[in-house]
Amino acid sequence: MAETQPLPDDIAAMPFEQALAELEAIVGRLEDGQVPLEESIRIYERGEALKRHCDALLRAAEAKVETITLGAGGEAAGTEPLDVD
Amino acid sequence: MPTLYITHTACLDHLTPLGHPERPDRLKAIERALEDETFMGLARDTAPMATLEAAMLAHPTDYVERIAAASPEEGLVRIDADTTISPGSLEAARRGVGAAQMAVDEVMTRKVHNAFCAVRPPGHHAERDRAMGFCLFNNAAIAAYHAKQAHGAERVAVVDVDVHHGNGTQDIFWNDPSMLYVSTHQMPLYPGTGGIDERGADDAGNIVNVPLNPGDGSMEFREAMEIVVLPAIDRFQPDLIIVSAGFDAHTRDPLANIHLVEADFAWATKKLMELADKHAGSRLVSLLEGGYDLMGLALSTAAHVRALMRV
Repeated sequence: MAETQPLPDDIAAMPFEQALAELEAIVGRLEDGQVPLEESIRIYERGEALKRHCDALLRAAEAKVETITLGAGGEAAGTEPLDVD
Repeated sequence: MPTLYITHTACLDHLTPLGHPERPDRLKAIERALEDETFMGLARDTAPMATLEAAMLAHPTDYVERIAAASPEEGLVRIDADTTISPGSLEAARRGVGAAQMAVDEVMTRKVHNAFCAVRPPGHHAERDRAMGFCLFNNAAIAAYHAKQAHGAERVAVVDVDVHHGNGTQDIFWNDPSMLYVSTHQMPLYPGTGGIDERGADDAGNIVNVPLNPGDGSMEFREAMEIVVLPAIDRFQPDLIIVSAGFDAHTRDPLANIHLVEADFAWATKKLMELADKHAGSRLVSLLEGGYDLMGLALSTAAHVRALMRV
């Protein structure tokens, strides 16, 4: 169910390190049992949103790495693009 | 032999702050659901008021006296981040203990096969000397020790299907291998306990935890029941099975992310009854714990009680 909900604006704007740090803090609080019952689910869901945001940032970074790799491979396959100029 | 349904209007008088999920309407929703003609064969009774000494079966004297002394003349007293006491709370809690004791008495003396108690506040988060998570007295643990003390039960199994881990019942049973506590619950979630490595004192195995992942549904729940929960009870051979019947693993519930439907609760009830038939002369006592979506709660309770009635 959480998967389909849009990310809160503050999370969507977060850099990776900040999102991961808040996620780690949430996991710590849930594991320590210091979260009231009524808020437990909201805090868990914020953690879930942070996790999705971190996943998305990681996937975007991976995609960039792949593009570069493929570009390098393509160039290695043939020299034609270089001859155009 | 019929199924016994026990409740008391005093349980409506335990008040919580406006907007709090553990609210009197929960019992009204159950009451309405059980008015259906399907439930005509249900034996119905009202819960007696337990003595404070009864609560001392599971809690130290000073804890019980502290809770009794915290009872306000008016307004609400907050005793934990989630837990409040209103003027009617002490009687509600004592009716809850009374219902649990009465259910055990009727089941152990074979007047009925099984019983369901619709009471609040719930009990399974209440530790030996700590009220928390909406709970004051641990009804399930008190019922178990009452069965032992008053009826000579040697081994009692408490099965907790509430979506939150029953840290209180686990705490009370931790050093007592004559008591088995088995729980399925969402993890991570409140109260943070309930890992599979929590197995009782000296790793005795009288505590059995089966955490579910957020997003899990019928299949994962039934697997957990069939692979871990039911075999653990079977090996333990209890004289009585007590169910901590929380219905907040229902997919509609706002406080968790497990996607059970009422048919899953009926299925689990029947499986537990089979084990009660095999080991405990069919003796089974079910006590309401959580469940915060009124429709999910009403549908699940109705399915649970229909299964208990074998209709």
